[in-house]
Amino acid sequence: METFIQVLIDGMLSGMVYALVAAGLCLIWGVMDVINFAHGEYLMVAMYVSYWLGFLANVDPVVSTVAAGAFIFMIGALTYKLIIRFTIGKPGLVALLATFGLAIFLKNLCMNQFSPNFRIMSDTWLSGKTLHVGGLIIALPQLTAAVLALIVVGLLYLLVNSTKFGWAIQATAMDREAAELVGINTERIYILVFGIGGACVGVAGGIMPSYLAVHPEVGSMFGLIAFICVAMGGFGSIPGAFISGLLVGVVEALAGFYIAPVFKYVAVFGLYLAVIFLRPKGIFGW
Amino acid sequence: MFYRFSRLMSLVACMGLLCVLFGFGYGTTPAMAQEKVIKIGTIFPLTGPVATAGQRCQAAVQTAVEIINNKHPEIKTPLADQEGILDGYKFVLVHADSQGKPDVGKAEAERLFNQEGVWAIIGSYNSAVSKPASLVAERMKRIFMCGASSSAALTQRDMNFFFRLAPTDETESVEFVEVLKWLNAKKDANIKTVGVIYENSEFGKHAAGEAKKASEAAGLKIVCDIPFSPGATNLNSEVQTLKNANPDAVLAALLGADYSLWIRTMKQMAWAPKIAISYCSGYQDPVIAKQLGPDADFFMGSTAYSPQFASLMPAVADVEKIFKEKTGGVPFDGDSIQEAVAMLVLAQAIQKAGGLDPEKVAETLHNNTWDSPLSLGGKVAFAKGGQNVKAHSVVTQLQGGEYKRIFPEDMADTQIVFPIKPWNQR
Repeated sequence: METFIQVLIDGMLSGMVYALVAAGLCLIWGVMDVINFAHGEYLMVAMYVSYWLGFLANVDPVVSTVAAGAFIFMIGALTYKLIIRFTIGKPGLVALLATFGLAIFLKNLCMNQFSPNFRIMSDTWLSGKTLHVGGLIIALPQLTAAVLALIVVGLLYLLVNSTKFGWAIQATAMDREAAELVGINTERIYILVFGIGGACVGVAGGIMPSYLAVHPEVGSMFGLIAFICVAMGGFGSIPGAFISGLLVGVVEALAGFYIAPVFKYVAVFGLYLAVIFLRPKGIFGW
Repeated sequence: MFYRFSRLMSLVACMGLLCVLFGFGYGTTPAMAQEKVIKIGTIFPLTGPVATAGQRCQAAVQTAVEIINNKHPEIKTPLADQEGILDGYKFVLVHADSQGKPDVGKAEAERLFNQEGVWAIIGSYNSAVSKPASLVAERMKRIFMCGASSSAALTQRDMNFFFRLAPTDETESVEFVEVLKWLNAKKDANIKTVGVIYENSEFGKHAAGEAKKASEAAGLKIVCDIPFSPGATNLNSEVQTLKNANPDAVLAALLGADYSLWIRTMKQMAWAPKIAISYCSGYQDPVIAKQLGPDADFFMGSTAYSPQFASLMPAVADVEKIFKEKTGGVPFDGDSIQEAVAMLVLAQAIQKAGGLDPEKVAETLHNNTWDSPLSLGGKVAFAKGGQNVKAHSVVTQLQGGEYKRIFPEDMADTQIVFPIKPWNQR
């Protein structure tokens, strides 16, 4: 039983980070109907921001996660201004290919600037520290990332559902022209949505160097899992993305331990296919 | 009439231009004889999850070419004291990126031969890439020099133009099990069970297969067999499975970032086996070892070269100076040095064969023993199928961030620390 709880906790901790990465993507996808293929690369850039702040200025990832979030907010806003706005009103494939190109650009830029070397932060406040509860071991870096994920996703949910700005986002997502008719500056909403979506993944990437090596390929798998979480949770549903993230983490951990480690992603993608087959709009889709 | 003629002339001019632009005819002219240039293709994973290793392998081949093409009297390797080979021929490298993917590697091999007109290929680090890429070379009767790929299957194909420098997973597995038997005999280690963890790839699967075969032959019980997807977001399930099975020894085949994640996850779960030995992998990467700090200590693996081997391989130091200029100060590791050896041995074979007939050079490679001061054994000789029968590696243990030689005993420079120290006692 203890092993089961341990595996469950590990899965939930991973799942919350997936949820945070997915929440940003969900917001962009839900509001703008743009599939941001560079989302995983945003995460990778955020990890580099955190790493270099640690390496050059001795700033711990727990602190630099804020800077990483702010930096990726700007990258997100710039992405909209420089790329995405030219694709609005064009077939969806245009934006998709544009962000795909951006993903390749960011990955190769980092490879060129920082080399493909793996960079590890060893002397952080959290690295290697664990919390022992009975026989259970909870890794503090992952626990901190999970708590951060919970806070950021909660704030994002409140922002979208309980503020005027959030209602404006929802109105823009439902009908851009109607939103403009009632005085909403939809261009500004789009910039901020791309920025906030980026900031979410930026915060996740900022804390991750506490336990994960930084390298140009690190974002790819997280990006893919984020797509699954968003599609499974229902496009544009932040609670959906959160629940899906948790579900993916738990299924991955349980299947990895109780079936075989090599099956953990098989189980995740299998779950995704099952959900999409039974409920094409996702768990919380409407 | 004039109109028709001018159209015809335009067409001829365009075709001429295209021929110049796209190098039409290179495929039929392997070596650019007029310029006395021998083109050699390299295929390494320059991007993707193991790009670090690939870029170092490429830098190693560049280092070897620099030594061969220019006079370096201070370097004590064959061909270093002359400029070029065959009375003035120099090597030119054409690089290709496999991304670590077999299909990309195969396509790049075809492009290098057919469009770039390379005379031979060196590569490809990943066994999964070397396998199809070398088949392209074999089909075209061109030489494929493989430095670091370790899958035993590569040299079990009886190919005539394939030559591999590194020891195979098969020989390494036998060596690892010898270490376990030696510990049981000399240190009363009581190692009875083995776990294997490996990336689910050509390299990992073959390494694990050989590990299980060698362990079972020695009467050791395999208690867990854990393949995983390379580039995973976490290795929690994998390490939890290991912890649950609690094998005395772990034989591991993990590359790059997966290796560091594995070590960190074991620390997080407060578990380590009595002994863990890795195939050529993340363990050999001096940068990863340095960045992991004390966490990397007491793990073991096969090592064909490390800067701590300087007394055994004195010729490496001067070569390494050139290599470090290309890698920003990172020294050779056991994989990259094999690629430099591949280039140097190929050049010696061309020189000895006295020409650029691939069949004659391949025959020369097979029929001779080559001096190789950059190899642990000092010599290179190829058996049928292309395996270097003089390939050596020693089992090392990281202690204080340095690769200390542990086994075989006659090559050891330090006592083994056994069992691995618990995480909270470092």
